[in-house]
Formats: sequence, C-alpha cells, structure tokens
Amino acid sequence: MTNLKVDVTNLNKNYGDNHVLKGIDFKVASNEVVVLIGPSGSGKSTLLRCLNRLEEPTSGSIIIDGQDISNSKTNIDKARENIGMVFQHFNLFNNLTVGQNVELAPTELGKISKDKAAQQAKKLLATVGLADKYNAKPQSLSGGQKQRVAIARALAMNPDIMLFDEPTSALDPEMVGDVLEVMKKLAKNGMTMVVVTHEMGFAKEMADRVVFMADGVVVEEGTPEEVFDHPQNDRTQAFLEKVINV
Amino acid sequence: MKHKFLVFFAMFFASLALFIWQAPQVHADKTYTIGTDVTFPPFVYANSNNKYVGIDMELIRSIAKEEGFKVNIKPLGFNAAVQSLSSGQIDGVIAGMTITNERKQTLDFSTPYYESGIVMAVAKNSKISNLKDLKGKTVAVKTGTQGATYANSIKNKYGFKVVTFDDSDNVYNDVKTGNSAACFDDSAVLNYGVKTGLGLKIVTKPTDIGQYGFAVKKGQNQKLLKMFNAGLAKLKKNGKYDQIIKKYTGKKATSKTNKSNSEDRTFLGLLKQNGQAITNGIVETLKLTVVSIICATIFGILIGLLGVLPNKFARGLSTTIVYIFRGLPLLVLALFIYNGIPSLTGTKIPAFVAGIITLTLNEGAYTAAFVKGGIEAVDSGQMEAARSLGLPFGKAMRKVILPQGIRIMIPSFINQFIITLKDTSILSIIGILELTQTGKIIIARNLEGFKVWAIIAIIYLVIITVLTLLSNWIERRING
Ligand SMILES: Nc1ncnc2c1ncn2[C@@H]1O[C@H](COP(=O)(O)OP(=O)(O)OP(=O)(O)O)[C@@H](O)[C@H]1O
Ligand SMILES: [Mg+2]
Repeated sequence: MTNLKVDVTNLNKNYGDNHVLKGIDFKVASNEVVVLIGPSGSGKSTLLRCLNRLEEPTSGSIIIDGQDISNSKTNIDKARENIGMVFQHFNLFNNLTVGQNVELAPTELGKISKDKAAQQAKKLLATVGLADKYNAKPQSLSGGQKQRVAIARALAMNPDIMLFDEPTSALDPEMVGDVLEVMKKLAKNGMTMVVVTHEMGFAKEMADRVVFMADGVVVEEGTPEEVFDHPQNDRTQAFLEKVINV
Repeated sequence: MKHKFLVFFAMFFASLALFIWQAPQVHADKTYTIGTDVTFPPFVYANSNNKYVGIDMELIRSIAKEEGFKVNIKPLGFNAAVQSLSSGQIDGVIAGMTITNERKQTLDFSTPYYESGIVMAVAKNSKISNLKDLKGKTVAVKTGTQGATYANSIKNKYGFKVVTFDDSDNVYNDVKTGNSAACFDDSAVLNYGVKTGLGLKIVTKPTDIGQYGFAVKKGQNQKLLKMFNAGLAKLKKNGKYDQIIKKYTGKKATSKTNKSNSEDRTFLGLLKQNGQAITNGIVETLKLTVVSIICATIFGILIGLLGVLPNKFARGLSTTIVYIFRGLPLLVLALFIYNGIPSLTGTKIPAFVAGIITLTLNEGAYTAAFVKGGIEAVDSGQMEAARSLGLPFGKAMRKVILPQGIRIMIPSFINQFIITLKDTSILSIIGILELTQTGKIIIARNLEGFKVWAIIAIIYLVIITVLTLLSNWIERRING
C-alpha cells in the first residue's frame, strides 16, 4: 500500500463530552475519488476537516502523502499547500477580486511570480468557465460561479488532493450542474478527491468508492454499485431510502 | 508574525516608559513647583491678562525674589493641589490654606501669612440673617475649605444640609439661584466677591478665625519652608507685605475691580479679553487630542490584535487590559496616574504626560474592544479558507481578515476620536490648562458662567465638526 494518499487510523475527535469521531479508519489511494455520505451530524465534515487539521484530532494518526498531519511538529502550513479544500459556503475573500482570490496564496507563499500567477489564474478561471470574471468582485457572482472560483483558487496551489465539503448544497438547483461538471473534469484528470455530498448521481457516476458514516463510525463502504444497489447494513438502507425519496 | 508583533508591542511600552522616565529630568534644580487654586480671589486668581495674581501669588513671588529661587505655578484646584503635594508631584502649596491640626499630620506649614474668619453670605434679596434661619435649608461650600469644615461642624446644631462644589463660582451660583440658602466662605474671599458684584450679601461677623499658611509635604522641602519663613519676615519688615494686603483688600482693590466690572461683557468683548487664554486652551486641547488619538489607536490595535491571537495567554492579557481600563472611570485613572503612582515610586510625572497616558489607556481599551470585535465580525470561513491554502496565521490576518475588519471598525474609530477630544476636558482635574480648565479660570475672575461656558461649548462643537469632516474624508479614501 505505498500509493496511499490518505491513511487515517483509529481517529477520535471529542467536543467536550460529545464523542464525534469514534475510531475511524479511512484510506484513500492515489487518483481515487471517494464520496462520503451519511446523515447530518454523523461526523463527515469533522473527518474532512481533520485531514488538513482545521480541526485538531483528539487521538489517532493521520498520514497524508507520507506526512504525519496529526503530529504537532509537522509544518501544517506547508502540508496544507498540498491539500486543497472547497467549502459549502465558498468563503471567497470578499476584499479581493476574483483574480486576486486565485493569485493570493501562490504569490504570498512565493510559489510563483506575480505575472506567472496572473497567467495561471486566467487559465484556471477559463477551465472553470469564468474567463471573463477575472476583474469581478465576488459579491457580483452567483453561487455557482463563486464555487467554481473557489475551486480554481484551491487548484492554484497545485494540490495533490482535494477535499470537498458539500460543495453544491448551498446552490440553486440550476447551478449545481456547472459545479459538478468542473469536479468531474478534475476527477477524470486523475485528481485524488474526497467529496462529502448528497448528490447521489455524482457519486454513482464518479466515485471509485462510497463510504457511509453514521454516529462517528464508518458503517459500510464499497463501490457505488455495492453500496447503492446492495447495501449490507440496515442503517445504510434506511439512509438511502430517505435520500432517494427526496 | 506573532514574534514580530510581540517585539513591536514591547518596544511601544519601552518607549513610553522612557518618555515618562526622562520627562522629570527637565525640572531644573532651583525651580520649585507650587500648586494653587486660581479660583480663589483675592488670594489667587487669573487677571484679565490671564496672569495669576492675588495675595498668595504676590507673596510667593516676592519671597522667591528675596530668597533667590524660582517658582513654577501650577493651577491645580485646591484638592488636586493638596493631593499632588502629598504624592510629591509638586513642592509646595499656597492657596489660602488654613493651618489645621489635621493637615499638620501630613503637611508642614510656614509661619502664618494671613488671618481670616468664616462668614455667611446669602442672596441679596434673602431674608436669612443668622444661623438659626438655616433650619431645614441647604448650605453651599467649596470642598476642602475651612468654610466647609465649619459648616459641617455646626450643621447638626442648626439643622441644615451641606452641599459641596469644586469651584467657588458654583458655590455662589447655587446661592444666587436659590438652590442653597447660604454659603460659608473665608471673609476676605467673600468680601472681595461682594464688592465685585457677586449678587450676595454678608450677614454674619467673622468666626472660627483661622490662619493661612504655605505648606510643604511633611518632612520634605524643609529648605523651601525655611526660605519662605525668612522671606515673609523680610517682607513684613520692609512694608512690602502690608502693601500687598492693601492692594487686594483695601478700598483701592475694589474700585479697581469695579472698573474691570464695567469691562465689555458681551460675547465679543469676552472673546477679545480672553482671546489669548482661549487660544492657548484650544492649542493644549488639540495637542492632547492628537497625541492621545495616535497613542490610543496604536495601543488599542495592539491590544485588540493580542485578543485574537491563537494563544490563550495573549487573549487573556488582552481581555484583562480591556476590562481594567474600560472599567475605570477616566477621572479616577487620571488621578491615579498623576497622584497615585508618583506617591508610590517617588518619580514625578508631568501633567501632560500623565494626561496622555490616561487617555491612551482608557481610549485604547475601548479601541481594543472594537478592533477585536471588528476582526471577530469577519466570517470565520474567511480565515479557514486562507489557512486551508497554506497561508500562515499572520499573512491570513493581514491580507484577508484585517482589510475586511477595518471597514467594520471605521465608524467606531471616528466615534472614538470624538470621544477622545471630549474626554480631554476631564484632564482639567490634574491641572492641565486645556480648554475646559481655561474656562473655569476665566469664570473664577469674571463670574460670567453662562457666556463663557457657551463660548467654550461652541468651540468644542467647531473642533468636533472639523474632526468629523476629516474622519469622513479619510473613510471615503479607504473605502473608495
Ligand atoms: N465546533 C464544534 N463544536 C462542538 N461541536 C461540534 C463542532 N463541530 C461539529 N460539532 C458536532 O459534531 C457532530 C458532527 O458534526 P459534523 O459537522 O461533522 O457532521 P456532518 O456529518 O458534517 O453533518 P452535516 O451533514 O449536517 O454537515 C455534531 O453533533 C456537531 O454538533
Ligand atoms: Mg457537514
């Protein structure tokens, strides 16, 4: 298992008395697309946010690209450069233009020159279909456009792995397609992705593996066919019935 | 970033400390700082050229001349003067102070230079003519004076209540408006006031005769005390003493002041006569305002930023500083820094510096609170997104959070600037001759309370308007 991108072992997370993650084991191989599903409050976001240590794990080990993320001696800023993240509410920098949003991290961290960063930003914006928004302010964009800028911003750091936390849940239905389209393109280009989503269509089409979580544990995992068509666990079944009926 | 920040923080305090520490060395050796109360004619008051004159002033200056030392007169007000003396901020007090056993506990007095008694004064048309008429009434006195002590000693016997004021002017006004039935004050002081058209009349003979003395802190400045006594003896011998007393209490004195009574008392006339003093007051107020706004803003931003660092100790420190200095009344803080600290450390702090420190701490605490609040008002997702890209805390703060937070803070900053300007007026308590103190001193002489306060109020409004326009212009530049 040398090509493991993400190797989480026995991960626990407590918020006070609330035991949110209960000994999670979670692996992602290189170029793999993993979709995380589960009821609200099951700990999906918490797991995702532990992967780039936006949340401090209580115990357990998190190895990403061979680097121990859970070790406090690890330079977490350096590690994060390699782990892109896309949020449910986009979190575009409101004080900057679209172009500056994409260029900020690479230039501030001395990755590339200002000129190169601008070139790269324009190219990335073009790939997400927003070439004409380079000078726009985030406030003037629709939700779908914002989320595509957020993806471009994460890609500007050239990450090896991308984390998505319900990237389409805050969008009007007609915007969802554009964002999923960009994510599919990424997946096809071999990006390693962990996606928390309720978009079962996307999961069926793109996921190499689906992981079902409930109450802070991984209940069941497998290919989309295994999980969606032949769920082994009652809770998986119950959850899927609810989601598919909606 | 965090380290740079802490270094900057330390440097700020170091330079402030250096500033405070160096300032006292300005005082030359042979100059004594003498505190007084310039609202106490005929002993001490400011004449129409805003020179401090009166019996006490002429005495101390003549004695200084005789004995070969210099004096630097500080118009502090009676209470502040006595406090500053015990804290070592000043060397002596001459302010028509009666020698009492109680005061002798903490002060050393010179040989008496004046003898005076307490009289009662009432409004011109009042029917009250003796102490018995005061039953159930209110009597006005000035804090810390012998008149106040006397009133309190007989209030139970005659059944009246006592209200105290900081300025003679307010005492007299309270009697004139009828809020108080009478006032007790020194006979020389009241005589002077009555003759200059105070609108009161004296109805009792002087009682409770007391002696006035020049005071130093107990056991301190004994050389100064000796020189005062020697000088006073010389003045008494060569006739200069009698000359001074006559000048301020004789018939001539009142006719002279009657002339000043017929001065132009219109707004324009008052402005003309006091133009220089008011200008000086404005300049002092502006200096205090500008310097404290700068210091308080720097201090406030530092403490505010400390409050959002991902470090429990830093946040706790910030919260504590804000809690203490926002919680302390400005007046208490000013007195504590000017009088309290020097009596502990023995180092003098110039009033201006004490004033700046006071405002920096107090206004800075408010600034810190809204700086912290402004930063926290920025959606936490902004910080998370920045950190998720690999930006360190400091860079994320500077490039993403602060630019958004500052926009939220700007109205609070403008508000705080205006409050700072207004709060400079409180520093009159430690004797800084800013606009408010200037007003008090002018009124002590001419008793034109309404007109002078109206002038002072309008000046404040004008300055505040200019400050607001300036701030709005800056706001537009930042947001534009
Ligand atoms: N910062 C926090 N402080 C305290 N409790 C938290 C915090 N964040 C999450 N929790 C708790 O942890 C549990 C898991 O939350 P989490 O957000 O990971 O669930 P989720 O599976 O992402 O749910 P959803 O589908 O609603 O996003 C919940 O019970 C939540 O209340
Ligand atoms: Mg979630």
